[in-house]
Amino acid sequence: MIEVRNLVKFYQSEPVLRDLSFSVAPGEIFGVVGQSGAGKSTLLRCFNGLEPYQSGSVQVMGREVARLRDKELKELRRDMGMIFQNFCLMNRKNVFENVAFPLRVWESHPALPKRVRRFLGIGETADARTRARVMELLELVGLADKRFERVQNLSGGQKQRVGIARALALNPKILLCDEATSALDPGTTLDILQLLQDINAHFRLTLVVVTHQMEVVKRICHRLLLLDKGAGLRLGRTEDLFLSPGGMGRFADEEYARLPSGVNIRLLFPREIARQAVIAAMARDLGLSFPIVGGKLEHYIDDVLGFLIINVPEENLDTVYGYLREKNLRWEALDDA
Amino acid sequence: MLEALLGALSETLYMVFFATLFSSIGGFGLAIFLILTGPHGLRPRPGIYAALDAVVNLLRSFPFMILMIALIPFTRTVAGVAYGSTAAIVPLTVAAIPFMARLVEGSLLEVDPGVVEAARSFGASDGQIIFQVMVREAMPSIVLNVAVLAIALLGYSAMAGAIGGGGLGALAYNEGYIRFRADMMLGAVAVLILVVQCIQICGNRIYKKLR
Ligand SMILES: Nc1ncnc2c1ncn2[C@@H]1O[C@H](COP(=O)(O)OP(=O)(O)O)[C@@H](O)[C@H]1O
Ligand SMILES: [Mg+2]
Repeated sequence: MIEVRNLVKFYQSEPVLRDLSFSVAPGEIFGVVGQSGAGKSTLLRCFNGLEPYQSGSVQVMGREVARLRDKELKELRRDMGMIFQNFCLMNRKNVFENVAFPLRVWESHPALPKRVRRFLGIGETADARTRARVMELLELVGLADKRFERVQNLSGGQKQRVGIARALALNPKILLCDEATSALDPGTTLDILQLLQDINAHFRLTLVVVTHQMEVVKRICHRLLLLDKGAGLRLGRTEDLFLSPGGMGRFADEEYARLPSGVNIRLLFPREIARQAVIAAMARDLGLSFPIVGGKLEHYIDDVLGFLIINVPEENLDTVYGYLREKNLRWEALDDA
Repeated sequence: MLEALLGALSETLYMVFFATLFSSIGGFGLAIFLILTGPHGLRPRPGIYAALDAVVNLLRSFPFMILMIALIPFTRTVAGVAYGSTAAIVPLTVAAIPFMARLVEGSLLEVDPGVVEAARSFGASDGQIIFQVMVREAMPSIVLNVAVLAIALLGYSAMAGAIGGGGLGALAYNEGYIRFRADMMLGAVAVLILVVQCIQICGNRIYKKLR
């Protein structure tokens, strides 16, 4: 769907994207994570030509974005929806008109007032079609009853729903999401993520999700790219990256900010062993007990997976390492904080 | 006295109305060019922008009195006459166009760039973005600026007496100052204050309605 090869972009002389290569498959939810300023938004804007790039290649649905002429670029954009952190709705229009706007942009003679078009006998059927399409979209995002509301009077979650409906208006193949949930509270974030997942599943829409929120990528992304200062640090399946030792490096470190001194070992629970009582078994088998000092059980797409951190006294270290190796568990020793 | 005041008022309103109308149109057009070619515009053209910017600043730095006199030959060509209320509309308009252009440019710059980007993201053309997104979103603020413009023109029009433009300013000067008619002076000033209030209240009303 999207093929990126050796992409490089500068702002003046400042490199913002350094030699990125990856591809996004049709129908997948692809995440781009990284800290603020990593270049995520810039990367996303290279996909629909809102930002130019200096070298390398970005092919979207087989078309090299940098080589498209004005008209072709507009057509490409018609096939790609985009949603934003701050929703970017037109405050003076109501919900209906915001969602209808992309459709009007692509109507013939959109500039003529409705009355003139009616007089000339053009646009009647287009108006009816626009109406039907907008209502369909508003039903989808659950805002049909708010269609005449001004967007200023909506909550953040509702505004993002309008943004999603607007982005879907032209039946795009790809939906670009730039920090779509970063301005929302946790509950609303979950609702919006659910909606995005539903859209991905029902319409086989390809999603590119840009965010600095680890929770978001963990929850919905099938694969992800970890971006750091414009460079791609990791690329792979979400589950593999989060569950492999050092997979997300220091980026997933917030969870164990305050661990006791000594040796802390992180045990990873992928799908197949998540529900076994690994720690209890180890304690029993070795005749030792370990304090559990941290951990997390989480939703990766639709499975509960996670890790636990145990604190092991120096003198038992070798025994424990031996046991972990023997049982073929996935684990890593953490650096002293 | 009332008759004199009413006559002067109608001359003032005539000058201010048409000068506001013409300079709104001209200033609006110029602002569109400034926005298009500006540093964060849809079609950045630093050269063209710098030139337009310089012309706007130059025209705005002329004292109105001087501009009015310098424009007399031009006024004669455009209006057919060099003196009188109709003739005064020409220099008023010329002076107000760059002023209005700056005001409208400011209004358009206030439009959230994210909204513009959103419109670009679904394939809107530059024309559609300018007129259907930016101007539309900025309309309340543009209306307020038209009121500011009209009030500024009211002030300028008082100087139009110098080329026989008449109006409240000329009345206050000729009758009130030269002939020591304090009542005329006070009357003219009172009517001017009233007109300014009316314009501002109208502007605010429309602003609230549009927002
Ligand atoms: N228009 C611009 N001009 C110059 N530098 C920019 C511009 N936009 C972004 N940058 C810089 O590019 C880098 C990446 O920005 P961005 O893509 O917005 O990061 P992210 O979305 O990951 O927070 C930042 O260092 C930012 O300062
Ligand atoms: Mg960003």
